[in-house]
Amino acid sequence: MEQRAMYSSGIMPMEKDKVKKRRRLRLGKLEPIFYLIPAFSVFIVFVFYPFIKTILLSLSQTNLRGEIQEFVGLDNFIELFQSPEFYHSIIVTFQFVLFVSIPSVGISLMLALLANNKLKGNRVYELMFSLPMAIASAPAAAIWAMIFHPTNGVLNLILGKEIGWLTDPNYALFSISIVTGWLNLGINFIFLTTGLRNIPSELLESSAIDGANFWHKLKHIIIPMISPQMFLVIFMNLVNSFQAFGQIKLLTQGGPGDSTNVLVHSIYREAFFNGRFETACTQALVLFVIMLIVTLLQFKFEKKGVHYQ
Amino acid sequence: MKKNLLTAVGILGTSLLVGCSGGNQASETEITFWHSMGGKGGEAINQLVEEFNDSQDDIRVVSEFQGEYDDAINKLKSSALSHSGPDIMQVYEIGTKWMMDSGYAIPMQELIDEDGYDISHLEENIVDYYTVNGDLYSMPFNTSTPILYYNKTAFEEAGLDPEEAPNDFNQILEYSNKLATNGRYGFSMQIYGWFFEQFLLKQGLDYANEGNGRTGHATEVLFDENGGALNIIDGWKNLVDSEGIISFGRDGDAVKDAFASGKVAMTIASTASLAEIKSKIDGSFELGTAYFPTVTSQDNGGVSIGGASLWVMDNGDDEKAKAAFEFIKFMVSPESQAKWAQATGYFSVTKDAYEIPSMVEHLNNNPEFQTAIDQLREANNQSGALLGVLTEARATIEENIEKVLNNELTSEKAVETIAKTINTALDKYNKANR
Repeated sequence: MEQRAMYSSGIMPMEKDKVKKRRRLRLGKLEPIFYLIPAFSVFIVFVFYPFIKTILLSLSQTNLRGEIQEFVGLDNFIELFQSPEFYHSIIVTFQFVLFVSIPSVGISLMLALLANNKLKGNRVYELMFSLPMAIASAPAAAIWAMIFHPTNGVLNLILGKEIGWLTDPNYALFSISIVTGWLNLGINFIFLTTGLRNIPSELLESSAIDGANFWHKLKHIIIPMISPQMFLVIFMNLVNSFQAFGQIKLLTQGGPGDSTNVLVHSIYREAFFNGRFETACTQALVLFVIMLIVTLLQFKFEKKGVHYQ
Repeated sequence: MKKNLLTAVGILGTSLLVGCSGGNQASETEITFWHSMGGKGGEAINQLVEEFNDSQDDIRVVSEFQGEYDDAINKLKSSALSHSGPDIMQVYEIGTKWMMDSGYAIPMQELIDEDGYDISHLEENIVDYYTVNGDLYSMPFNTSTPILYYNKTAFEEAGLDPEEAPNDFNQILEYSNKLATNGRYGFSMQIYGWFFEQFLLKQGLDYANEGNGRTGHATEVLFDENGGALNIIDGWKNLVDSEGIISFGRDGDAVKDAFASGKVAMTIASTASLAEIKSKIDGSFELGTAYFPTVTSQDNGGVSIGGASLWVMDNGDDEKAKAAFEFIKFMVSPESQAKWAQATGYFSVTKDAYEIPSMVEHLNNNPEFQTAIDQLREANNQSGALLGVLTEARATIEENIEKVLNNELTSEKAVETIAKTINTALDKYNKANR
């Protein structure tokens, strides 16, 4: 449109080039900034500003409106690191992450291997195994609350026992882990299946001719070949379980006692229930550091253990 | 092309900036009402709001469901920064002190005095809860008390008199042992901080100093020194340790489901759950209700109320505050309260509602509800404690009782921990808000 307008107004091509050049000069250095503005403003509003605010809040005392009242330095951190509940919360968090990630990745690998057999009706199983992905944590919690119910629940009915799955401190963390692991199952399954499908069949066939059994194949071909997907899945499970919240809030509220009070739930309780934003922000920063370390460790592991084709 | 893109970015930016402004040029005053009633309660509120809007042309109320009580308060906090909050807000009873201290609201008494409104038709025991130093701070709206629910059919099976419900912990234990059979427990009670507060009131003991936080800012709890907490927790533990009694932890729905399906013969729940429990029982057994039990047979205190009240927010607009008060008067009118009580199972906050024919009929059909009304009108009722940290206090109490019931903690240690945690919270609260 611009060009047509220029021709019709009779500007010669030479002059047009000059105009273009001048404009380019004027915009030259600024231009990339304009392209960055949309993405950057989103980052500023939703990532950088909250992060800085979190640091500020963790160094101050807030009133009941959640406004900063005075600067207290590292007092909040000192108090936090002296509180036994906080250490308990960290221990519970790590237990939870392990209880969720290991079985969830293991079982989804097993399911992916099963569903990868070229049998009739496999599609149905593939659909079934990936379905948990489509369920949000809140309805999942509602379903599992019914399954876990001590007297009316189907789980106790099958086992013929009266176990308080969510009310007995020996079982609660385990039960919550089952729910979370189940929620992660679908997406794990999809990624691992994709990985399995990409393994060239020649590799498996020639190994079979050489006399490799299933375990040999699994150890020396399948696992190394799907290691990029495995890495992704393990990483996702760790992050997901560090951040799991909905099912815990709905099923146990951190209880019984404080046996399922993972760090994220503890942050929620402090901020939105007890109204102490500074304590919540202090805990959030600790969680941030933990996740940072875990992430760094994972990427170190990636360099060693992951094989890209 | 480039120009177009720049313009687009510009327009986007400016629209983001000005997006929040907007005007209302109509002559009627628009009032925003935030509430926390989902399900049937929410429907009933919307219906009342619609009726109010149709009844006159000057005020238009927009009701907005804002999630549970805790969530709504958090939204209020963040809305206050951008002045986008409501004009009327429904806040739960344990948020009363917090609302008073926050300065967000106009004390209801100011509006009552200005208007010359007569509140003598309201239930005294309900109004008392929201009155501090002679001033009413918010208008009670939905009110409940806890009562004992029991399965009359099971009572008959066990050879017990279906008209005689247990009065205290010892009797509950005795009854439960008779009621328990293969596949049925005698009693179950949700681990709920509200019940703890009520058991303390039933003993006639104070929760905190400064007149239960009603004559000043409470600085420490008293239930550890006066022995009230230990009585409750020991008694509770004793109940749960018995074969015939089961604990479902903090999950209130699990208890109600077990009761309604006949797996538990007696339970304690709010009067507001009456309609829900009845519909879940669906005629499979006969339901009985009785007074909230005491801890020991010597206790002679009463109960306090729970539920929520309506607050008029201070938005610096007299016009709106007046309009808000008009709406509140409508909400506590006998007609509105009769409809509200029938739809939900909450009490009517006005005594006059019981003279309305539909309400009389409702009570005839649901005689269980009379228990709750009688209990509410008992002379020995007290108003519960007012603390700014009551939400946290409840959660702390629940957590520690749960630990005692699960043998992770002795009751003495639990009382000590509870008192210490709440006192620290009070200390922080008072320091931050003076």
